[in-house]
Amino acid sequence: MNSPLASPQSSAPTADMLAVVKKQRLQDFLFHKITMSFSLLVLIALLAIIASLWISAWPAFNKFGIGFIWSDEWDIVNDEFGALIAIYGTLVSSIIALVIAIPLAFGIAVFLTEMCPVWLRRPLGTAVELLAAVPSIIYGMFGLFIFAPLFADYGQPALQSTLGQMPIIGPLFGGAMNGVGMLAAGIILAFMVLPFIAAVMRDVFEIVPPILRESAYGIGCTTWEVVRYVVLPYTQRGVIGGIMLGLGRALGETMAVTFVIGNSHRILPSLFAPGTSIASTLANEFAEAGDMHLSALFALGFLLFAITFIGLALAKIMILRTERAKGTRT
Amino acid sequence: MLQNASKQPINAIECRGVNFYYGNFQGLNDINLDIQEHKVTAFIGPSGCGKSTLLRALNRMYSLYPGQRAEGEINLYGQNILSPKQDLNLLRAQVGMVFQKPTPFPMSIYDNIAFGVRLYEKLNKADMDQRVEWALTKGAIWNEVKDKLGQSGLSLSGGQQQRLCIARSVAVKPKVILLDEPTSALDPISTAKVEELIFELKADYTVAIVTHNMQQAARISDFTAYMYLGELIEFNNTSEVFTNPKKKATEDYITGRFG
Amino acid sequence: MNQNLYKRRKLTNVIGLVASLTAMTLGLFVLLWILFILFKNGFAALDISIFTQSTPAPGSEGGGLANAIVGSLMIVGCAALVSTPIGIFAGIYLAEYGDESKTAELTRFVTDIMLSAPSIVLGLFVYAIMVAQMGHFSGWAGSFALSLIAVPVVVRTTENMLRLVPGSLREAAFALGAPRWKVATLVTLRAAKSGVITGLLLAAARISGETAPLLFTALNNQFFSTNMNAPIANLPTVIFQFAMSPYENWISLAWGGALLITLSVLLLNIVARVLFREKVKV
Repeated sequence: MNSPLASPQSSAPTADMLAVVKKQRLQDFLFHKITMSFSLLVLIALLAIIASLWISAWPAFNKFGIGFIWSDEWDIVNDEFGALIAIYGTLVSSIIALVIAIPLAFGIAVFLTEMCPVWLRRPLGTAVELLAAVPSIIYGMFGLFIFAPLFADYGQPALQSTLGQMPIIGPLFGGAMNGVGMLAAGIILAFMVLPFIAAVMRDVFEIVPPILRESAYGIGCTTWEVVRYVVLPYTQRGVIGGIMLGLGRALGETMAVTFVIGNSHRILPSLFAPGTSIASTLANEFAEAGDMHLSALFALGFLLFAITFIGLALAKIMILRTERAKGTRT
Repeated sequence: MLQNASKQPINAIECRGVNFYYGNFQGLNDINLDIQEHKVTAFIGPSGCGKSTLLRALNRMYSLYPGQRAEGEINLYGQNILSPKQDLNLLRAQVGMVFQKPTPFPMSIYDNIAFGVRLYEKLNKADMDQRVEWALTKGAIWNEVKDKLGQSGLSLSGGQQQRLCIARSVAVKPKVILLDEPTSALDPISTAKVEELIFELKADYTVAIVTHNMQQAARISDFTAYMYLGELIEFNNTSEVFTNPKKKATEDYITGRFG
Repeated sequence: MNQNLYKRRKLTNVIGLVASLTAMTLGLFVLLWILFILFKNGFAALDISIFTQSTPAPGSEGGGLANAIVGSLMIVGCAALVSTPIGIFAGIYLAEYGDESKTAELTRFVTDIMLSAPSIVLGLFVYAIMVAQMGHFSGWAGSFALSLIAVPVVVRTTENMLRLVPGSLREAAFALGAPRWKVATLVTLRAAKSGVITGLLLAAARISGETAPLLFTALNNQFFSTNMNAPIANLPTVIFQFAMSPYENWISLAWGGALLITLSVLLLNIVARVLFREKVKV
């Protein structure tokens, strides 16, 4: 009789308890297997993606060989394709974007953590995070309707009359000024990834223990020196990680770029000239592509995936190395 | 049932040659001691001496973490719980534990108590209500919560939360209750209430308590074990340990010369 | 103290801080300008017909976005429904068994990759295995593509939130003799509930704004339809098509649609934030 008010009796567990234990063992086993299989689904998805892209891209890779990567052909009529133009556009627009976004993001992060009055910190920080959530198509529309005309009327002439007159970098700013083009795409892309990188930087700057900062101030460092010699080294890995994530987004971005890159399959020396990226080529040409064209597009997609994958792997290795060097990981 | 005529004390737990390892680091070295049933046994010693390690071996809590392992024998009423065949859930239903930081579950006060009971017993609503009331009474907290059983366990104060956790342990009617520094996070008034509670619990349960507070050990325990650097230095009746320690190391610790 | 050295350090400090301030002002100014333009043009385009009429044919007047709104709700809704259990269970696996298992290590790495994968590539994949196989575009394909984006987000946030639950709470549950699955669900998951929901909301916000994966999966539909087994209208594709067009009313509708998407995304983010901050008082 198991009266609730009795004190513990004999030492052997009851038969009831043993039955429960047996059931529990089965339940735990099933739970482990079920959750594991959901986890495996994610793995399978990635493998399926890689496999499927490769299979669809194969006809193009087969026909054009490894030369596909550096061929600058893009002749839809005669089914001659090469990835160089698109890769060039993807890389150049992303690099321009990062060159612009990183210093700006750094400025925002430093302001938020070192210089901002306390009452403004939360609202401003939240504003930056919310901006990071704004869908990229908005940036594309802004680029096409507002930025491009202004850039054509004021920005590009200004650049051409100053930097465009200098030796070596002059040709980068030459040619027709239509607003849309590689530089425009890079600029719009910069503002798209900016809030994201700024939020990540701000997050990692905040994690620096106050006591580290205080120690630096305590020996008479200026604010800038604290940032440069304490905060940055401490948060190095997070900052690099944030930048790589931003790069990843920039490389794969479709909408922010497609509206303003000009969509032309040529590589020209000027940054004012239109070009194309892998993502915008896919967006524009997929709908009416014939067989070999379609396969070439899949090949481009595969290459984009590979580029992003390599970038991510590099970032992880870099982070691992800095951790090992600092002794935080063996 | 006739009382045991020879009045031989029954050991709830017997440790024989217990060694414990965190990876390559040895945390316990050849521990041999007996914990008598229906008595309070206290473990004292400076930080890092292994008292919590030993306590957590008694309900195999360490088995949750890969890399931690124990050797030797720990016999719970004759059954070696270090054996690989030992079912851990069953063990923990018989050997309960209360932690230093109060850990109410994110559920109502009623459900906090009922959670453990529901694991192994099927009680109808009336019986469960009765059990919950009994457990909360044993935990010296019934009067304070009887009108708000539906409220979250997290809405209680620190001292109340700890008594809730004790009530939760008691509710499943374990044989042994392990207390790991149960009052170090509490204010003096709550501490006093919990100590009273522990004193009453020993009528029905075997209690093992780890404490940083020597005075607490002297107040409430029947037996005291002094540990240092993973070894059991001295183990005796509490009064003997505190008034007439056999080892100099024990005396140094107790008089505050060390630790 | 060397006065010259100190003066130079002070100067460097001022330059550095002023540069940061300028960068911040420039950055924020442009971002706020973009939002301002969006709200100005978007609100100008908003009137009740957006919600009552479907997208207009090329060259015709007026029209609304009703079919696109409904289509988007359906596609995003399905994707959210599918990714929630998958993401949460996988997240539980990584949090509960993650320290003992190579599968878990691998899954985490793969989740990282999927999180940074270009969404247009995911659209290609779904085209190849669903649209090409089925012979037609469909809302289901669109949902599938969006779930591929949402699942890694849910997995990551679920795992992180579960790991934040203090170890002592889990130990207290084990100490009562609870089996692992009950500890994981009735105690740990419950304790992390608001964080996990936040993750779901953020995933939903993320996929609401995605255009590229829908371009080759759900495609678009000029008319009102709730048939998920065929091309279905959706806001992002409509915006893409209308914005690049020469028609006034189309462009105006594009701004309106962009505003609607942005408002929903912002709303989801804000709700997630409020929810999380509320419950994080441990």
